[in-house]
Order: sequence, then C-alpha cells, then structure tokens
Amino acid sequence: MRRYVLKRLLSLVGTLLGVSVLIFLMVHLIPGDPVTTILGQFATPEAVDQLRAKLGLDLPLWEQYMHFLGKLLTGDLGTSLFTGQSVWEQIAERFPITLQLAIFSVIIAAIFGILLGTIAAVKQNTFVDRLVVLSSLVGISAPGFWIALFLIWVFAYKLALFPISGYEGLHSLLLPAITLGMAEAGLIARMTRSSMLEVIKQDYMRTAEAKGAAVIRMVFSHGLPNAIIPVITMLGLQFGSLMAGAVVVETVFSLQGIGSLAIEAIGKRDMPTVQGMVFFMAVIFATTNLVVDLIYSLIDPRIHYD
Amino acid sequence: MKKQWWKKGSLSVLLATAIVAAGCSSQTSTNPGQTTEAPKGGNTLVISALVDPDTLDLHKSTWVSSANGILYEPLLTRDMSGKVSPGLAEKYEVSEDGKVWTFTLRKGLRFHSGEPVTGEAVKQSFERMLEVSPVKSIIGPVEKVEATDEHTFKVHLSSPFAPFLSVVMSGMISPVDAKKAKELGDGFGDNPSGTGPVMFEKRERGASLTYKKNPDYNWGPEYAQNKGPIQVDNVMFRFLKDDDTRMMEFKKGTIHILSDVPANSVAELQSLPGVEINKTMDIGHKYIAFNNLHPLFSDVRLRKAIALSVDRDPLVQVALNGFGKPVYGPLPPTIWGYSENIENKAKQMYSRDLNQARQLMADAGWTDTNGDGLVDKDGKPLSVEILVSPEPAFQRAVQILQSQLKEAGIDLKITVQEMATIKDRISKKSYDMALMYFGWYDADIFYLLFEKSNSASRMYFTRPEMDELLNKGRTEMNDEKRFKIYEEAQEILLNETPWVPLWVNETVTATRGIKGMVINPYTQGMVLSDITIDK
Repeated sequence: MRRYVLKRLLSLVGTLLGVSVLIFLMVHLIPGDPVTTILGQFATPEAVDQLRAKLGLDLPLWEQYMHFLGKLLTGDLGTSLFTGQSVWEQIAERFPITLQLAIFSVIIAAIFGILLGTIAAVKQNTFVDRLVVLSSLVGISAPGFWIALFLIWVFAYKLALFPISGYEGLHSLLLPAITLGMAEAGLIARMTRSSMLEVIKQDYMRTAEAKGAAVIRMVFSHGLPNAIIPVITMLGLQFGSLMAGAVVVETVFSLQGIGSLAIEAIGKRDMPTVQGMVFFMAVIFATTNLVVDLIYSLIDPRIHYD
Repeated sequence: MKKQWWKKGSLSVLLATAIVAAGCSSQTSTNPGQTTEAPKGGNTLVISALVDPDTLDLHKSTWVSSANGILYEPLLTRDMSGKVSPGLAEKYEVSEDGKVWTFTLRKGLRFHSGEPVTGEAVKQSFERMLEVSPVKSIIGPVEKVEATDEHTFKVHLSSPFAPFLSVVMSGMISPVDAKKAKELGDGFGDNPSGTGPVMFEKRERGASLTYKKNPDYNWGPEYAQNKGPIQVDNVMFRFLKDDDTRMMEFKKGTIHILSDVPANSVAELQSLPGVEINKTMDIGHKYIAFNNLHPLFSDVRLRKAIALSVDRDPLVQVALNGFGKPVYGPLPPTIWGYSENIENKAKQMYSRDLNQARQLMADAGWTDTNGDGLVDKDGKPLSVEILVSPEPAFQRAVQILQSQLKEAGIDLKITVQEMATIKDRISKKSYDMALMYFGWYDADIFYLLFEKSNSASRMYFTRPEMDELLNKGRTEMNDEKRFKIYEEAQEILLNETPWVPLWVNETVTATRGIKGMVINPYTQGMVLSDITIDK
C-alpha cells in the first residue's frame, strides 16, 4: 500500500509538471492581452508598452514559463495583475465556500442517488422504478440556473426560509447544494440502479435470499457494498469537478466561490490568477482521484494495492 | 417480505428528507438572513452594483466606480448643469500660459485617518499617483507639483494641457491619504483613507463592501442640500451579477438602490408601490468601429453607405427597450465639446437613406447584378463581419443592424467574442467592424481614438488636419476657442465617418424605501448626502 501511494505520488509530480506547461501555454496562447484590459480606453501604444515591460510580459515565452515554474516550485502561485492579491490569498478567500458547497452537494447526491437507485433496482420494472428513472432524468437534464431560480423563488422569495443570495453561513448553501446535488443525484441513482441490477443476479444474493435474510439486510450488507465501487468512482469525479467551482450556481446565488473567480480572471486575462488557480484545481482533482482509489480498498477487501 | 422492506425504505427516505428540512428550518429560524433584515431594520443604505472594484486604492485602479469612488473626493467637480463647481478646492486658477494650475483648498478638511488635508498632503498624493498609477499617461505633461502654503497646491505642466480640468474632475486623481498609503504599502487597498463622506468598514471580496459614515464630513458638494455628514450610518454595496437574483432581492426589499436595472425589467419595477426610477445618460456612446485600413473601408463611400443604412430608432426602442438616445454626431450631450449644431448636421447627413446608400455603393462599383438582394463586385457579394461582445443588448442591436444592412444589400456576419479577444483582433488589424464604446468627460477622447500616435490600436483612422486640431485642442485654454476647434474636428469626422455613432445609453436606477437619491449626469455619481432612509 505504501509503495503504491508513493508510486502514485511520484506520477502525480510528473502529471502536474505536464499540467503546468499546458496551463501556461493555454493562458498565453488565447487571444487577448491583460495590459489592454487593465488600461481600458487609455491603452495608448506607449502606455501598453510601458506596462507590458513592467509586468514582464515582453519577455520571451520560455523565460516567462521558467519564472512561473520557478515560483511554483517555491509554492508561489503568483499575484493578480488586477487586485494585487496573491493567488493563495484569493484561493483562501474563495475556496472555503467552494469546498463546503462541494461536500454539501455530494452528500445530497450520495444520499438521494444511492437510496433511490437501490429502491429502483429492487423494485425493477414497477411504477416506483419508472418514477425514479424519470425523476433522475429530469434532475440530470433540467438546467442548473432554472432549478436555482425556481428554488430561490419558492424557498427564499415566497417562503423567506433562506436568503435570496450571498453567503451567511451553512444554511445559505442548502439551496445551491440542492441545485448541484439534484443533477448529480440523478446520475448516481441511474448508476446505482444498473450496478445493483447486476449484483442482484449474483449467486450470493440468491443464497442469502434462500437462507431467508431480510431484504434490507440483503441489499445493504451483501448487495450495496458490491455495487458501490463504480458509484464511488463517479462521486469522486463529481466531487473533484465541484471543487473547481460551479460557475452558474455561484453566479445565481451570488456566492464567492472559486469558479466565479476563475471566470472573472479569464475574462480579464489575469494570467497569474488563471494559471495559479487552474494549477491548484489540477492538484485538488488529482489528489481527490488518488483518495478515491484508496477508498476502494477500504470498501472492497478484494482490492489490494501492492 | 419485499413489501415490508419497501415500507421501511420509504420511511427512511421520508426521515432523511425531514432531517434535512428540519436542519434548514431550524437554522433559518435562529439565524435569519441578515441581508433581508439590514435595509429595513438598521440605518444602512444598501446599493446593488454589478462589479466589485479590483482595488479601493484609487491610484492603482484604472476606472472609478461609485463603489470605490465614494471614499474620495475630487478637487473640482461639475454641478447638475455641467458647470465647474468646488470640490476639495474652493477655487482654482490657471496661469495665462496655461502651464500652472493653482488650487486653493477648503479649510478644515480631514482624511479618514484624521490627518489634515493640506497643500503638502495633496502634493504627496499627487506624487504617489504619478509613481504608481497605471493610467498616469492621461494626466498630462506634469513637470512638478508643489505646496506653496498650507492650503495651496500647484501643478506645473511643461506645456498647456486643457483636458487637465476634466482629469481633475474625473475623480481619478482625487487626493488619497499618502502618509497612510506609505505606512501601509500594498495594504492601503485593504484599509484606504480618503476624504469622502464614508469611511472604509469591511470588505468581502466579490460579495460586498461596507462603509460607515464619516462624522467629520462637512464639505458636501455645493449642489447638495446637506453639506454635513450623510444621513445614514452605513452604506453597503452588494455585488450581484445575476439579473433575476438582484431583481428578486430588490422586490423583496433587501436593496434600496438597484443600479443598472435590466431594460426589460423597468416596467415591472415601475408597477411596484414605492419604487422610483431614475434615468441617467451615459458619458459616452456605442458605435460601429470600422477597420479603416480594410480594403473595403478605406473607401469613404462604403463607410458612408453603411452609416446611411442604419436606422437608430429601432436600435434604441427594441435593443434597449427605449432606454437610450440615438446619437448621430461624434459626442453625446453629456460630454464637454458636444455641439447641437454638429448633432443636427449629423442627423441630416446620416439619417437612414437607403437610396443614397445604394448610390454610394454603386459609385464604388457595388451593385446587385444577380438579383439575390446583395450587392456584389467582381462576382463576390458584399459581406462584412462585425465583432460584438456577449452583452444581451449588444446582441439584440447587431441582429437589428444585420437586417437593416441586408435591406441595403449588405451581408453582415455576426461574431460574438469576449471583449479581450475583440481588442486583440483590433490590435492585430484582423477585423472588419466591431461594436465598441467609450466613456470620458471631455472631447479630448478624440485624441485617444484618432490622433496618429494612438489610432494604431483603434480604428486606424488618422488625418494630418485632424491631428493638428486634436493637438491644438489640448493646448488651447480658452473654452470658446477650444470648443470651436473640436467643432472643426467633429466636422472632419462627419465627412469622413471612420465610425458610425449609434446611441447613448440611459442607465436606469431603481430606488425604494429611501428619499433624495439623485444622480449627477456629468459626474455619473449619486449625491449621497441627501439620501434618507424611510422610517
């Protein structure tokens, strides 16, 4: 296990090095110049040249990359060209909301998705099954902004149970988490259902049924642990991508998460912020994947890492 | 057996739902949303704005918005009719040669830190700005600054620079507390000190900015009724981007001032009791920028033909829901240098006239030879691309333009791109036309748009006689003579039409639960001193 983790960590370093090149090239090759954005209509050619030199944007690309990499190795993600804040400061401000929202929505997705998916599998081809399949389809296909506005209108505007927008503690994350969780719950339900249907046909399930085990025990002790591996993979992937922020939901609920920060930075061509943030997201995503892989062995004793 | 399980299962689903629901309701009952309470309960004025300023350090920002501008006050300002009015300076003088500007400061002014605002303090602030501002090039040829006594501050220019007055009034060079800025270094943006009616309290980046009343403030603008401290305890800016969300917040009563009301929501808000709608004309306009180096548009006949194909009224009525005014000439009425003569002439020259447009195109060799409705030359139809940023009103506008140009026989292709990409394509000359805008306080904006040293990054239009006028306009200190110079420059723009001015926006602001909110169209700022919250 330790050797496996070490191996994975080593390959992570290689991956992140590749990612750093990719991010750097993407950020520098997309059209648009941060200097003309900073100067706006006062971007006279003279002012542009001066500012570009001041920011080091007139250096050859490889030299700029070496600067970026050199800083990365010392843990410095760079400083915003617009706000003067370091990327770490910006992440520290924005990441807690993103993390809370991701955890909250993955919990919602897991509870509802796994439960409904299991019910649908057990009650295959019944009305309940069809209802679950249909509602999960609705959850997956309803646009996020629409669900968000609907939830705000009912629970915040009409019933006044929540603030309409903004972050005022965990409770203000419930509506956005439901918005995000609904689509994921739909996917998880479908995946759990098909995975469970496979498992239900297995000999050990039939044996358990023949021995007179209660259905609930059968499903939760014998069925679900065997059916859950692909579901965990999907939850892990969803969690990883949620950690990169959920732009639409953040905008509608006016939450200051990492997604809206990245979009603002891209719009302004705030290169250091974009580079630093995307690199940070890549690290988080890769680490989440590693953790998920390790969780497999905890859930399923048949999986060993040597 | 299965049935039994299902009963248990459904019970647990219900239970889980109940737990989640109970969790929410118990939290909301003990901790009701602060934002829903703030405007009604306390004496906090809540303003919704779209964009959180990058920094509160005035000298490091490139544009002043009301959210960071209210911390500071300019030396001079314009009153509600556009006349120069005292700000922190009670008077100013310009030497005969136009090179020395002397400002006499009001007495008793203090920064938020408690430091007195003296000639020396203003001098230090000015020097700091020259050192750190990314837009210092707009300030003019400053040679040196000096404080001649406690209340006098002088700016020496190497050559006369008439737009300096507009720069002073723009608020971009307003005095900051340079002593505190020096102490705090980069941290000044997080703990700023100016002379405005409010002082910094706290900031949640991207979400809100809260200010508290400056109790020492007694230098309110002359055009405000209340010259003393503002009549609310706190001013809070909330940055809400989504139109539906901020509309719901406003309707719910959590916001007093809703700025930039989406045009299609105005009617709905007007129908609500207690809502007042305030319209303010912008200090700039939207225009079609031609690439004047493009083989098609280096021919003035084609530029004119396109200008004559445009009908501005439907653009304003449909794309902006009526919240704007058509502009035919080079300047809107809110900018110094606007001439009614020029605007009337422009209207005569460029009101829609398809016959004239077709004639001009025919003169340039473009006629519809195959009867497909599009003019062509050498077998190729006249097809041009317009770049437009993804703003909904802009997109509606270009769609209308597309159908208007089609009636004249021109095929308009629409390309939606981010503004950063559009600017990049303009700087690489790889564009035909773009829907652009500008905003400034003075006709000197033409210098940035058309003077030969700057035209390279704009519309690539330059004329020696135009350059001469634009340079003369910068050095002429007599207002009347200067006005004539810009009239002449505008005549050239009318005859050459390197662009097609389209409309000036009217920014709509909705208020509710307050009294006395007025926006000065010449500074675009709200008069905070007179606002009171209804009890």
